[in-house]
Amino acid sequence: MKKQMFKVVTGAVSLAVLLSACGSKGSESTSTASPAASAAATAKVEQLAPVELIWNFPLAAIPADIATVQEAINKITKAKINATVKLQPQAFADYTQKMNTTVAAGENYDIAWTSNWNFDYVTNQSKGAFLPLDDLITKYAPSVTKSMPGFVWDATKISGKIYGVPNYQTVTNKEGFIIQKKYADKYNLDVNSIKKVADIEPFLAKVKAGESKDVVPFLVDRNGRFNSMLRSNGLESIVNAGGANVIGVDLSNPDKVINFVDTPQFGKYLDLIKSWHDKGLINDNAATLKNKADIEKTGNAVVQFHNVLNPAGPASYKTANGGNDVIVVPITETWAGTGSIITTMQAISKTSKNPERAMMFINLLNTDKELYNTISYGVEGKHYTKVSDNVVKINKDAGYVPNASWVFGNTFNAFLVEGTDPNVVADTKKENETAKPSPLMGFKFVPAPVVAEIANIGTVVDQYNPGLVTGTVAASEKLKEFQEKLKQAGIDKVIAEVQKQLDEWKKTK
Amino acid sequence: MQTESNRMNWTGKMINLFFCILSLALLVPLVLVISISLTDEKSLLTHGYHLIPLQFSTKAYDIILDAPKALFRAYGVTIFVTLVGTFFGLLFTSLTAYTISRRDYRYRKMMTLYVFFTSLFSGGLVPFYILISQYLHLKDTIWALIVPYLLSPFFILIMKGFMDKLPFEIIESTKIDGANEWRIFFTMVIPLSVPALVTIGLFISFQYWNDWWLGLLFINNQKLIPLQLLLYRIMSTIEFLSNNISTVNVQFNLADFPSLSARMAMAVLAAGPMMVIFPMFQRFFISGLTVGAIKG
Repeated sequence: MKKQMFKVVTGAVSLAVLLSACGSKGSESTSTASPAASAAATAKVEQLAPVELIWNFPLAAIPADIATVQEAINKITKAKINATVKLQPQAFADYTQKMNTTVAAGENYDIAWTSNWNFDYVTNQSKGAFLPLDDLITKYAPSVTKSMPGFVWDATKISGKIYGVPNYQTVTNKEGFIIQKKYADKYNLDVNSIKKVADIEPFLAKVKAGESKDVVPFLVDRNGRFNSMLRSNGLESIVNAGGANVIGVDLSNPDKVINFVDTPQFGKYLDLIKSWHDKGLINDNAATLKNKADIEKTGNAVVQFHNVLNPAGPASYKTANGGNDVIVVPITETWAGTGSIITTMQAISKTSKNPERAMMFINLLNTDKELYNTISYGVEGKHYTKVSDNVVKINKDAGYVPNASWVFGNTFNAFLVEGTDPNVVADTKKENETAKPSPLMGFKFVPAPVVAEIANIGTVVDQYNPGLVTGTVAASEKLKEFQEKLKQAGIDKVIAEVQKQLDEWKKTK
Repeated sequence: MQTESNRMNWTGKMINLFFCILSLALLVPLVLVISISLTDEKSLLTHGYHLIPLQFSTKAYDIILDAPKALFRAYGVTIFVTLVGTFFGLLFTSLTAYTISRRDYRYRKMMTLYVFFTSLFSGGLVPFYILISQYLHLKDTIWALIVPYLLSPFFILIMKGFMDKLPFEIIESTKIDGANEWRIFFTMVIPLSVPALVTIGLFISFQYWNDWWLGLLFINNQKLIPLQLLLYRIMSTIEFLSNNISTVNVQFNLADFPSLSARMAMAVLAAGPMMVIFPMFQRFFISGLTVGAIKG
């Protein structure tokens, strides 16, 4: 017994020793990791002190073989800017939580991926998480400025300063229909006849009459499709609450902030969707369907309305539709807005000890094709093989398939993956350059003063919206109640706040 | 007499029937989960759930087992964390509980209040994160998964409640026989507290086994990812992307992920080992609860 007790005690003691050992080791490394590297500002590579950069970014799944890729990247960065990079990928769903704690704890890191839909750019900038980049860009990354159109940079500015370098990709939007080709052919759909949403109805009716019960003429989920039909209704959203765009401007008068639920456009949409619902043109589980893809991938959805149509789309829509060919019928012009640009960016942390080297690295990510393709596809011969000069075949079993090159940098520098349309790149570039910038380009609403109201609005939206926007409930029954409840939740206060910020932004322009 | 035994038979049959139905009610969902995990996603979406797969497919397992090395390593991490965590958790919990249950300990009330107080208020997420990562420097070490759960005020108080009932006379008489405090604790108190130890040990081990939160916060090193985090990540990412991706300007193909069947496959993989282990523990669990030092 004595022996046993001795074991337990030694166990406890050794754990304590171990813990304290970890502790001291940790503090050592933090104290040595603060070199005075900032002295070497514009110096040549040989004169730069070696540093390690920590880069946080999200991926769908964390690749098994990240170590090999990190090594390959460090070979390039070591030679070019005498820095090594520590890759810290997180899962998309965990990213906001993880980065929020990192930022709140004031932990040291150098570069973070940020966007308007995950680890929010504006919120975190207002918390002071990011460094302003204008000076760093002019000094250390001059070629990045030229690699993107001017309005892209305008979109990233917060009170006149740039806090994130966009990962340049497709920045344009178009709204329109995605229609399965085999049905369009079968029922002789004339795509030129479709100029607005309601024009699709005769085709939907034919599909309904001619196909089995499993086939859904028009696919709708619980958030409805009004959210995706803003542009075709001449609206632009600013505040989204509870999964619906509720506050924004009418593009015919972009200076005045309005409540979308009160607009005639919303009323008209509700009547249309209600009639489609009653005629059985939409899926009967619309009001409860959370994930549209669940029906989409069975290949049973004939027509869908989509708000982000771009040249790269058709290929991905085809796989999403269970491998069936689709045709794309846009019903709006091509345009670009703040939201379509700040969807993927790199920012530099205020806790970074080497911001200038971090900027040099971001510069390389956007201009150095070798580096960018290594982080996007891995090591040649191991993770991918070259089919031709600019086309690669991905080896799915090698343990590095991030499958999201838009997380890393300028996507126009990427190799094409075998099977993608080579015209897409040129088309995208052309659309980007000819797109019509939104009148609100660059305006970003800071929600902090009215967070509570927005949360309340979200609750109201979640209660009333699914029934209304899927046509399950008639507008005549519930719309008035919905509008009143929104007023009680404080929507007018939010509108006033948005108006105030918009007016201030207009003055600085 | 005859009627009576007939009636006995009849009630006996009813009781049997009741338990048959109860067992079915417990078993069917389990079978359903396994069956869904083995059904083709497309047939799930069009035809719904069935007890026998309409279209057999192992794609959900293929996706999760895509990197079997990572999965086995995660199993290893979780098993290690659960074993080590439960052992030290029990040791520290019982040591603390025993100390504050001793009637001759002067600061007993103060200490109990101190323990109780921490169960009412917590420092919040950020101070907790700073403590673990910047003061204790446990970030990216296996100890980050163990240390935070070592002592739970709730378990200490349950254990104290049990130890309060141990007659102080036993401890005193052992002392008179010449045993020192350690010896009293390990040869008298621990064996007498087996029922409480087993119960709390099971709670602690479940807590360690089911945890993904600590891993999410503190682990970047892919080699130290616990099992539940690995599985949770796949699920939450599918959910997150399907909610967001359609409205933002990025390319992502969600159709690749079989979300319904993958969810069930994950449940099978995560719960499987525990379902095997639990019946083995159960024997101790029941005997531990019924056989104590003093009844009543």
